[in-house]
Parts: sequence; structure tokens; C-alpha cells
Amino acid sequence: MARSRLETVGSVFSRTRDLIRAGVLNEKPLWFDIYNAFPPLREPVFRRPRLRYGKAKAAIQDILYPEDRIRAKFYSAYGSGQKAFDLFNPNFKSTCQQFVEKYIELQKLGETDEEKLFVETGKALLAAGVILRRVGEARTQKEGSHVSWESEPTGVKPQTVLEKNQPLQEVPQDQHLETSEEQPKGLSPP
Amino acid sequence: MLPGKAAGCTGLATGVWPRPLRPRPLQSATPGRARPGGRTLAGAATPAVSGPEDSADISDKILSEPLKHSDFFNVKELFSVRSLFDARVHLGHKAGCRHRFMEPYIFGSRLGQDIIDLEQTAAHLQLALNFTAHVAYRKGIILFVSRNRQFSHLIETTARNCGEYAHTRYFKGGLLTNAPLLLGPMVCLPDLIIFLHTLNNVFEPHVAVRDAAKMHIPTVGIVDTNCNPCLITYPIPGNDDSPPSIHLFCRLFQTTINRAKQKRRQMEALYRLQGPEGLGAGVQGSAASPSLGA
Repeated sequence: MARSRLETVGSVFSRTRDLIRAGVLNEKPLWFDIYNAFPPLREPVFRRPRLRYGKAKAAIQDILYPEDRIRAKFYSAYGSGQKAFDLFNPNFKSTCQQFVEKYIELQKLGETDEEKLFVETGKALLAAGVILRRVGEARTQKEGSHVSWESEPTGVKPQTVLEKNQPLQEVPQDQHLETSEEQPKGLSPP
Repeated sequence: MLPGKAAGCTGLATGVWPRPLRPRPLQSATPGRARPGGRTLAGAATPAVSGPEDSADISDKILSEPLKHSDFFNVKELFSVRSLFDARVHLGHKAGCRHRFMEPYIFGSRLGQDIIDLEQTAAHLQLALNFTAHVAYRKGIILFVSRNRQFSHLIETTARNCGEYAHTRYFKGGLLTNAPLLLGPMVCLPDLIIFLHTLNNVFEPHVAVRDAAKMHIPTVGIVDTNCNPCLITYPIPGNDDSPPSIHLFCRLFQTTINRAKQKRRQMEALYRLQGPEGLGAGVQGSAASPSLGA
């Protein structure tokens, strides 16, 4: 089968068509009719990739949403890492997302002052049971925060384990209590 | 000749994907049977010589019929923009890796990561799947090429399931351009090459892209934001790194090719049955054929 190996000249189709017209190629290839009937959106012609010089930039816009402002404020105030993101679940809502939705709800109710809205949303979330730890005060609150762990509804588990521990071992009881306070999640019943 | 065998073409003496030259055009199963042609009046005696002419007509009909419909194989129903989104096809590389020629296909950049425009992807994918289906319908040889080791097994099994060929190993220099020397004297080159990854392991364009353009072989390829889509006949802008995305594309190609081959068997059976009744009745039958199958 005659071919012209000039991939930089035209497209595959234009070269084949011209070879057939010239009579060099006798048999129409299998794909010719299909290409004729359904051509691609852009003819596959070779183009040399040129670098952009000077201040020329690509015409691609950034994707930004109005909620991004709220997210930026949230992350600067509270930092990240309260709750790990579960990406396996398509309907997962992170702490930040809950914050943003609450903020927009309160905004629709009519409030306009941003700082006020921020504080109100924080209060609403704390009332709903979501922990919000501020960035700057994290170190000072390290000991106090462990007490707040046990006062949560999810803190029921360590307390039940504590109850089990007490009747079984009376001598190292104090040590057990201390270790259970420091590692509420790391407890395993004996 | 065993179809569906994955090719690891390095040093294979038997040469897996060169098929022996097969007779074209298609010939009917029973050329000697006396059939009244569509042009004669019913009841008139006809000579038995009309066999080969009939078969040529039928083969023309079989080949030309699908080209008249815009979506003969109904590939549009296999995917949707939502399913592409769920398979993470829209995720591209970071803005620094972007190829200049991929800019028209990019929707925007979210915090530095390029997001591919799925509306364009859907349009390109529909064209590419349609083209693949037509090539498979006409019994063309399809070669799946990729150099990404994570998915090489998946691609080889996909090729085996469709009855087509795959090459996911090191691509030797003159495999397409110097085929008679490397693979043997009587070799048929593929009629379509499908690239699931356009880049090789050093992030350069795969040699087969340029070689297919040299050898007048049309290509279908998944182009990510760091690939060059110029020489690919039917590019599909999409993610080629995530497993769900590649699994989706493999499934789509497999379904399309199987569907096209099944349609071909149905059309042949249809025309063979309708032969005695004349080709005039075949027009009504073929109008019903898009509803057949799948």
C-alpha cells in the first residue's frame, strides 16, 4: 500500500484522499468512508508547539466561588484538621462546608455585618455539637481540650470502659484513670 | 490466527497481531444458490449467475447502511456528563504541566489544578466511540496502546474481551514503519489505534502517535492536560491517571466494539434471510435494524 510518511504536512485523511485522487493508491482504506461521514471536530494537522514570550498568558480563568471568601476566613481563624475528609462518601460534608452552609443561611435571614455573621455561625455550630478550635489558642488549650473531649456525646465510650476498669483492678486504678484521660480513643478493654 | 491475544511484540517469531490477508470484499455464504434478484418480476425465471452480483450488492448495502445514520450504534446512551464527572474524568494536572494545545479543552483552573471541560469531552467521546464502532463493524483490526504500567493488565484483558489486540510493552522502533522486517513478510497493520495513555514513561509523546500518522492509520486517544492532541485523529480530552477514569474508558471501548461486532452479525443474518425476497424488502428491514440488539 502506498503511503506518504509526511506526518507534518497535512492530516492522514487529506494525504490519503490526495493519493487516491492521483491514482497512486488503488484501494480505499477501511476507515476512509467512515472519516468522510463523521469527521472529527478539528482536523488532525501537525502544529509545532511554540513557547509564549513576554507577558502573553493563557486564556484560562481561575474557578472561584463566592463561598471561597467564607472558606478563606474559616481556615485563617480555625485552621484545618478538625475532622478528616472522607472522600469515599460522595455526600460527605466537612466542618468547613457545614460552616459555609450555616453562614449562607444566616446571611439570607438578613444580616449584613461579616464579623457578626462569622461569630454567629461559630456559635451555631458549637451549639450543634461540632468542635471548632481556634488556631492561635491551640497550645494553651491543650490540657483543657481533653476535658472537653469527655464531655462530648461521643465521650460515652471511654466512660463505660472506665466503669469496667474500676471493678476489675483496684490497685492501679489511679494510673488507669490518668491514662484514659490522655488517650480516650486509644483505650482497649482488657 | 488467534484473535484477542495480547501482543508483547518483543522477539515474538509468530507475530501475534499480523493477521493473514483475508479476502475482501465480503462474499456471501452460498454463492451458487439461485435467487430471484430484486430487479426481476416475481415469478420470472432467473439465471443462477446472479449470485456474485447479489453478494456484492448485499455487502455494499451492509457497509453503506450504517453511514447514513448519525448514531447507528447508539453510543450516546453508554455515558453521560454526570457519569464522566463521577469517574473523575474532569481532573487534569497542575497548571505548570499544561500543554499549550490543550487550552481550548480546559474549562478552568481550580486552585492551580486544571479542570477539563466535560461538555467538549462528551462531544469528542461520542465521535470517537462512533468511529471505533464503525471500524469494528467493518472488521478492522484495532490496537490498544498504552505505556502506563498501572493499567497494562486491565488494557490487555479489555482487548482480549473484545477480540482485538493490545500493546502495552516497550514499543520497538520500526514496529509500524518497518513492519515487514520486524514482524514477517505478510503483515496487516492495524486499521485503528486506540491510545489510553498518549505519553510514555518519560512523559514524552508515544512513538506510535507519530508513526500511525506516518502510516495513514487513524488514531483515537485519551489526551490529558499535559499531552499533545495535534496528531491524534479523534482526541478525547480527559483524565488518564485515575483508576475510575481508565476503567470507565476501557468499559466504554469494550462495549462499543462488542456491540458493533454483534450488529455486523445481525446485519449479515438479516440480509442472508432477506436475499430470496429481494433487496427491495431489505430497505424496510434495515429501517428496523437500529432497534435490534443491545
